[in-house]
Amino acid sequence: MSALFRGPDPERGVEPIVPPGREALLTAAVAIGIVLLAIQLWLLTVALDIYLAGARGQLWVLALLSGVVFVGGVVAIRVISRGPRTTGRR
Amino acid sequence: MSRQERVDQGSREPLKSRAEYPYHWDADDFVSRRELLRLAVLTSGALFAATVAIAVRGAFGNSSSGSRTLIANASDVPAGSVKYFDYPKKGDQAMLINVPGLGFVAYSQKCTHLSCAVRYERDKDRLYCPCHNGVYSVTTGDPTAGPPQRRLPQILLERDGDRIFARKEQA
Repeated sequence: MSALFRGPDPERGVEPIVPPGREALLTAAVAIGIVLLAIQLWLLTVALDIYLAGARGQLWVLALLSGVVFVGGVVAIRVISRGPRTTGRR
Repeated sequence: MSRQERVDQGSREPLKSRAEYPYHWDADDFVSRRELLRLAVLTSGALFAATVAIAVRGAFGNSSSGSRTLIANASDVPAGSVKYFDYPKKGDQAMLINVPGLGFVAYSQKCTHLSCAVRYERDKDRLYCPCHNGVYSVTTGDPTAGPPQRRLPQILLERDGDRIFARKEQA
């Protein structure tokens, strides 16, 4: 058994040791993710407004910014998924 | 008190039922932060796709439309008067205005706020949308008051003698 794991728990089985600060990191990721979603929604409304106004030059910049937020979210999910879960279902 | 405890209290044989069906409603309702994050990333992907779709439509779509169409004779529209017509398609209401001191201008009648019909008010020298009190400039079509944020689509005109043609509508 790895040194990262405690002995068997009679009720929950093997319990992983959670690295310090991991819970705070996950909560911060959720909070930042919600803020970024709001920014993306705002970018979408700005893009729609520019499209309807007929000035089409800046639309790709807005799409690029939205894409950066999305890719950042995917990377964050992949990084967070590597660590052990701290609470909840297995 | 959890939902499971409430169910156990109301049940006549809680232990037996729990033993036969070890099903925890609280655990089933539980949404972890990781699941919430995944949902947020999926939503983020949908918002990104929508923004790209708008950008693609903006890049490859045509911002102007319509063909050369005779809309009026100049002599039929004296200074300070207006003629309403359909352009670029039938049912798309537009207006030709002979602005005193400026000449002929034409705009779509569709308000850029919520698509009500805009009308020309000569005495106040403005284009007015009665639905939500939107006001546009007669000379430029720019919004000057009320909720509209975008200018009225302008219809480019071409004059051939006395005849006035609409050439295309420009957003």
